[in-house]
Amino acid sequence: MKLLGAENSDAVQELLIEQFGATENSIGGPPVIAVDRHLELAKKLRDEYQYRIFGFVVAAHYPAPAKDANGVGELIRVSYGLRSVGKGTKLATWQVCIPVDGAIPTLVPLFAGADWQEREQFDLVGVRFDGHPDPRRLMLSEDWQGHPLRKDYAIDTKVHPWR
Amino acid sequence: MEMIPHVAKARRRANPYLDLGSYDPEADLMVLNLGPQHPSTHGVFRLKLYLDGEIIVKVVPFVGYLHRGVEKLCEKLTMVQLIPIFDKNDYVSPMMNEQSLVMAFEALLGIEVPRRARYVRTLLAELQRIASHLLWLGAFAMDLGGALGGGSTLFMYCFRERELILDVFEDLTGCRFHYNTHMIGGNRHDVPAGWATKVHAAINAIETRLPEYETFLITNDIYIERTRGVGVVDGQLSMDLGITGPVLRAGGVDHDLRRDAPYHCYDEIEVRVATATAGDCEARAAVRMAEIRESIRLVRELIDNIPEGPLGARKPIKTPLAEKATQGHAYAAVESPRGELGIYVIGGGDNKGASPYRLKIRAPSLHVLGCLPYILPGHSVSDAVAVLGSVDPIMGEVDR
Repeated sequence: MKLLGAENSDAVQELLIEQFGATENSIGGPPVIAVDRHLELAKKLRDEYQYRIFGFVVAAHYPAPAKDANGVGELIRVSYGLRSVGKGTKLATWQVCIPVDGAIPTLVPLFAGADWQEREQFDLVGVRFDGHPDPRRLMLSEDWQGHPLRKDYAIDTKVHPWR
Repeated sequence: MEMIPHVAKARRRANPYLDLGSYDPEADLMVLNLGPQHPSTHGVFRLKLYLDGEIIVKVVPFVGYLHRGVEKLCEKLTMVQLIPIFDKNDYVSPMMNEQSLVMAFEALLGIEVPRRARYVRTLLAELQRIASHLLWLGAFAMDLGGALGGGSTLFMYCFRERELILDVFEDLTGCRFHYNTHMIGGNRHDVPAGWATKVHAAINAIETRLPEYETFLITNDIYIERTRGVGVVDGQLSMDLGITGPVLRAGGVDHDLRRDAPYHCYDEIEVRVATATAGDCEARAAVRMAEIRESIRLVRELIDNIPEGPLGARKPIKTPLAEKATQGHAYAAVESPRGELGIYVIGGGDNKGASPYRLKIRAPSLHVLGCLPYILPGHSVSDAVAVLGSVDPIMGEVDR
């Protein structure tokens, strides 16, 4: 249950497991917490644990497994990172997991830097952020069809310059 | 909320989501498109400026004109094939891009890099930082207007000095620009005989010419008039926006990954981090000038002490499928000339795990451009160009 190369500090790991009931992700990566407690965690990390620099938002698309016995379905896993300031700086990371048509509360009220990062993830992966003040595409044009970083979006999809 | 003591007091910031309907109905607002094709946008970047007279009221930036789908390409090519692709992201400091990428793959695969390779990487990183900041200095002088720095004289001089560093890179790697000198687990090219002498000559030449440029530009009265108090990005705003690098340090936040989270061999040498408190264009320029000098000092310290030993943890990689990871998430970050350049990689993709499942580039320039809607309102159009030049965005890295 860790991010290789940038593990959470012991204090953050304890906070995630004991107060937020973080669980292990079967394929590795940061601890997974419930979507509805996501904003609360970010606020706590910023105000009480001094993780003040906005790090990153990474969304990854997981298609439904071929033999879907447990009814997992199509998922999007979104990892977040915040960085502490100054000597001995650490990264605090966590992950939320939502169904492909679900939404995540936006971090923009806490970190202005989340604005463009979340727009980029919406644009390329197609994850929706609830309450985002400016939910437009960032990289691609407004009338683009689909989200290129989804696994069902083939790299050789023909895109005509006219639509 | 407990304040971090060294952060300057937060200044008033503009509202980037301003509803123009609520603005003074008497005002005669005008929309001005700066870019995408404009010499001062350093690439293809478009700013939609809403002007009241000559004063900016609201700024809407548009990026993506240089979007090449690098992250999608990462899911198709293998890890070994990706390294030359990454040279083209931040095309002003390709070494840093390669290093952040191979560091992320090494973390994912659990590979330890030999000490000699880490030394050479540190050396290349510092030389690249000098080259990148020199290019910024020349371009910034051009942005501020033709007469400053003697027309395009300073621009040409800075290119001449940058050429010295490209020459030593060419001696080492055979390429002037897109090096492909890093590989997973070590470096590809060993230091050639007599290279240290050439590096010494290059940095000596640059160091003796730096004071000349300062009298050209930094101490010029017109320059001070155009940069002092212009485009203040305070430390608090920088941290909220995720801005790192010289822009953050110019706002009074003492944060540098080279010293604070040492990678390569930065734990063996002392890095003196340059900071300023004003947060304006002048402070950002001062921080970068100090960083050039600090990098010159670090190169001098490193170049004569490269340890003996192997240059790679394994034999040179020859096939694209040489390295595979079935699962796992990894993140690695380096302090590029523009800030924290991070790579987040999820293993276990196509080609039986030789490709990443998902790879995300945390580009420092993307965050830096995010500050424009907060700081530009209240400035004039000419200041917008000065601010854009002073934050030094590289669009290849923003759009990816």
